[in-house]
Amino acid sequence: MKKIILSIIFALILVTSLVKNSTKKIEDKTFQLNENIRSLKIEFSDVMLEYNFLSSPEKLIQFQSQYFEKDLIKIDIMKIKIISEENNLIKLSDFIKKRDDEK
Amino acid sequence: MKSKNPKITLEEYENEFSYRKSKTNLNIEFNRIAFIFFIFLTISIIFSIQLLHLGSLKKENKATKTFVNKKNYRADIVDRKGDYLVKTVSSVDIGISPMEVIDKKKLLINLKLIFPNKNYSVIKKKLNKDKFFKFEKKISIENYEKIMLLGDKSIKPKETLTRLYPQKNLFSHIIGQIDDDNNGISGIEKSFDEKLKKIKEPLRLTVDADIQYLIREELIKFQKVFKSKGSTVILMNVNNGEIISMVSYPDFDLNKRETINDLNFINRATKGVYELGSVFKTFTVAAGLDEGLIKTDTEFLNLEKKLKCGKSTIREYDKEIPSNLTVEEILIRSGNVGSVRIAQKLEIDKLKLFLEKIGVLNKINFDIEEVGEPISFKWGKCKLATVSFGHGITTTPLQLAKGYAIIANGGFEIKPTLIKQTSVKLKKKRIIKEGVSEEINLILRKIVNTREGTAGFANIEGYEVGGKTGTAEKAIAGGYTRKAKVNTFASIFPTSKPKYVLIVLLDEPKTSEDYIYEYKNKKGSYKGTPFNTAGWTSVEVAGKIIEKIGPILATKYLEIN
Repeated sequence: MKKIILSIIFALILVTSLVKNSTKKIEDKTFQLNENIRSLKIEFSDVMLEYNFLSSPEKLIQFQSQYFEKDLIKIDIMKIKIISEENNLIKLSDFIKKRDDEK
Repeated sequence: MKSKNPKITLEEYENEFSYRKSKTNLNIEFNRIAFIFFIFLTISIIFSIQLLHLGSLKKENKATKTFVNKKNYRADIVDRKGDYLVKTVSSVDIGISPMEVIDKKKLLINLKLIFPNKNYSVIKKKLNKDKFFKFEKKISIENYEKIMLLGDKSIKPKETLTRLYPQKNLFSHIIGQIDDDNNGISGIEKSFDEKLKKIKEPLRLTVDADIQYLIREELIKFQKVFKSKGSTVILMNVNNGEIISMVSYPDFDLNKRETINDLNFINRATKGVYELGSVFKTFTVAAGLDEGLIKTDTEFLNLEKKLKCGKSTIREYDKEIPSNLTVEEILIRSGNVGSVRIAQKLEIDKLKLFLEKIGVLNKINFDIEEVGEPISFKWGKCKLATVSFGHGITTTPLQLAKGYAIIANGGFEIKPTLIKQTSVKLKKKRIIKEGVSEEINLILRKIVNTREGTAGFANIEGYEVGGKTGTAEKAIAGGYTRKAKVNTFASIFPTSKPKYVLIVLLDEPKTSEDYIYEYKNKKGSYKGTPFNTAGWTSVEVAGKIIEKIGPILATKYLEIN
């Protein structure tokens, strides 16, 4: 009986210390990963900010007039087509179908 | 002789003591082990509880906590696509402690080399005062490196968090401003102040930066054409109340952090309270249809050209308007007297209830605090008559958008919002009878695509635009002035299955002599603005806006509805 109790106590101490150790290791890893992710997130958001600024409509129009000769034109919605595949054939259809009462 | 040494005899001593096991029930040996076992058991239970507790903790970590709790931290704000509208970035301010300066002259020369554009006579005075002062705010990385390389102990860098607005003026009225302590003082910054200080993820709005830009560009362009005092545009999804764009012009650059005192810079979309004129006729007709008192083909015969009500006279704007008109024709030709007759059929209670129902009569509960309150008035027979065609009643453009959205979406209640909701509400509350929407939408379409209609310039092919114009004279002390007008166009598109409501309001526009109009419902063009009405001003602006943003809405927003 004595031996059983003592071995249980010993086993409990051993298991607890093992679990505690492994938890600490995992905690350390998690902390490190979180820290790395955090710095990457900050870097990503800074890059995104730069991207948003440089690709904002105002900047795009500025770059267009600065580097290209041709002007940007409005898209006529009636000229937009939908490409679809039917029986191995490519089919073009109007994006906006004129309603009968609009014709 | 006797021996001196005494003799010692050892004898076995026998006494009565003999060791025996305790006869008591207390087993000391066992209890000691049990006690130790109990202690260890308790410790291991505590450990296990702690382990379980650690395991059950959410993904919160110390680093995140310190980041969020950082002084002056505010969450970023993004548009519906995730593009930054506001971003909190850390910056470095440079201060100088004159007490620690070794050689003032040398320091001034070095600073002049790095920051040549600063006023050094002021800085010299500050240096002589021996009191710490801020030398440069939000210093660039390049200049930070240069100034720190000077190695002067008196130079004190201080890291601070600052708000950046990459879209500059584009969302000035929506986002609002913050004070020097990073507390919101207007717009979303104010109304979501607490939330922005707590949340980690960016606050996502319903607006679209690209569409906002295109609309603002058109407003700026037409500001030059019609020389209006200001203007506003609201683009909203009629089915869920999401505001895709809300521009109020003039606006201001949020990065400059200026104190705005000029009333002309108010948010006209939400704070501006206006008499909007004939755009209210749609509500009068819708109320009549909702109550079942009229049908679109109900005829009103022998309509007078003018009506007298108390001291005021109600006249028709269109001198050639026929005396016999159906309900549909009253709305298409914007008949004032016809609208009065419909309102008289409705009576005060029903019209008032309808206007309350669609949310144009009382102050609206919105995501920003800068909201105007419609001016209250006493209902009477004359008031009923003028309200029917949008005079003597005020509301904000935002509430007008809400009213038109409800009428267009099948009659379901919506709440205009700037905050993108993650969960979709499926329950819709019907507030207008079934069928009314379809009838009104058809009439609104005819106002745009028929020659009799007043909004032909908005008939952009492919979008099925429908809408109603409203030209209202501005109220001055003791009456109205013909010189200052508010021209509004409330439109919906596509009328066969409405998705968007677009409100264009021009505050005090003037006629243009040089602007060339391209007719949409007939061939040809026209130079100059013949009349200072919504049909020749706001409708033209709305048409140009739809032409520009339409392809984006049609292709990019296919998922909506």
